Amino acid sequence: MPLGIIFKRALRDIRQNLVTHVMTTIVVALTCLVFIFFSVFSLNLQRIADHFGKELAIVVYLKKDMPQDKIPSLYQKIVGMDGIESVRFVSSEEAFKRLEKYFKDEEEVLEGVDPLFLPPSFEIQIDRAVYNPGRVRSIAQKFADWPEVQKVQYGKEWVDRLESFSKAVKAAVVASAVLLLVMAAFVVSNTIKLTVYARQDEIEIMRLVGATNGFIQGPFLLASFLQGVSGSLAAIVAGLFCYEYVLNIITQTELIKSLNLQFLPPLYMLTIVLVSGIFCVAGTAMALRRFLTL
Amino acid sequence: MLSGDQSVIELREVQKKYAPDIVALEEADLTISKGEFVFLTGPSGAGKSTLLRMLYKAEEPTGGSIIIDGVDLSSLSKSQIPQLRRKVGVIFQDFKLLFNKTVFENVALSLEVLGLKKNQLSSRVRQVVEGVGLSDKLHRKVVQLSGGEQQRVAIARAVVNRPPIILADEPTGNLDRKRTTEVVALMEELNARGATILFATHDENLFTDTHRRVLRLKDGKIEEL
Repeated sequence: MPLGIIFKRALRDIRQNLVTHVMTTIVVALTCLVFIFFSVFSLNLQRIADHFGKELAIVVYLKKDMPQDKIPSLYQKIVGMDGIESVRFVSSEEAFKRLEKYFKDEEEVLEGVDPLFLPPSFEIQIDRAVYNPGRVRSIAQKFADWPEVQKVQYGKEWVDRLESFSKAVKAAVVASAVLLLVMAAFVVSNTIKLTVYARQDEIEIMRLVGATNGFIQGPFLLASFLQGVSGSLAAIVAGLFCYEYVLNIITQTELIKSLNLQFLPPLYMLTIVLVSGIFCVAGTAMALRRFLTL
Repeated sequence: MLSGDQSVIELREVQKKYAPDIVALEEADLTISKGEFVFLTGPSGAGKSTLLRMLYKAEEPTGGSIIIDGVDLSSLSKSQIPQLRRKVGVIFQDFKLLFNKTVFENVALSLEVLGLKKNQLSSRVRQVVEGVGLSDKLHRKVVQLSGGEQQRVAIARAVVNRPPIILADEPTGNLDRKRTTEVVALMEELNARGATILFATHDENLFTDTHRRVLRLKDGKIEEL
């Protein structure tokens, strides 16, 4: 069966049932829009988490009694590890100077305090390209096992919370994606079912004059694919407008500007459009099955 | 049947039973040759429609075999049924037309399913519609036509793709005498052009003075009259 004929018949069907088709497309668009909001939120949350997460450093405090000559070899050992971007040694004296700077208005606080009372340390930045909260934890754990190390700090709670929140949001996005797409398919398949019910006589007659299943099904499947694609495209456009509107309001502050928030990447949008089309076709194919017994 | 002729419809010990114990056909045998015009008669409920429905595989026999144009229908897969139905034009008592569509659209449907485009099918549709005397109503909606005209549209749709076999299921059942005569004349003409016709009717007036072969369906058996 030539595709041109199926296409023409599908367009004719859409024209004849325009209101139903438009309503269905709106429902698909709203469904996709909800999913797009979830996705944009999740994606930017991840960006925020990464942004702040990358600022986190691991601070490895060394034992005070550790011989000074061991420091260069420890430094080399840390630099040679995977996933380390930079390492900086902070001696006890430098740490004290930082403390003095911090208390510059209340110098009396540090009066009589031994300048060497703070332990020496290494401040380690994790490679941003490979950053993730789990990796920070595992690197920190390695340092903690070294005998020269007194304590390791890496904002454990922050990293853990960030990781679990990020996981929860991702799970919500996946769950919403599945639920919403199933809902879209259900709505589209029901609309097609109503159209099929209304045209049962025509389908019966087509079968009696020798129409193949492809000839009967083709226009319905194509119409539902068009509904899925046009609905998701409309949702993307609407989502983009909403995103730009909200962004214009919240980017008054420098902090938000520095986060470099983004809408969905092109590949992600393409996937939404295709998956929406495919789900609508699948729903319709299931709805049509019972009408096509010869 | 004329001996030595090529058979296009053949029934061998065909049975059709419905639960619990209704027998529509019982070991029915029948052979119809190419180019024959056969009347099938019998009282209402005798199984005429059932027999016809089995010939275009809208129903399955519960026993025996049906051979159409050399093909045993039991060997056909679902995907091959449309091919069979393109060889068998069916005319129904209730017309089975799309009433909100035009005469042209109804008749063109039989050609559209073959994949023909509008410019390819247009001239053939006009020719056939002219043949049934409705060329002045080509773009009228079927709902605006009389019963006789609607039946002629149904005939045009059944024959537009030039099927070698035409099954007519009480095509005059809803028509007055004049329209009935017109429809029979049309069928005679189609037969003269080479189509094999099986014409089911309970109206004995249609075949009392005919030289055509007449079959009677009675108690599930087919008898020659």
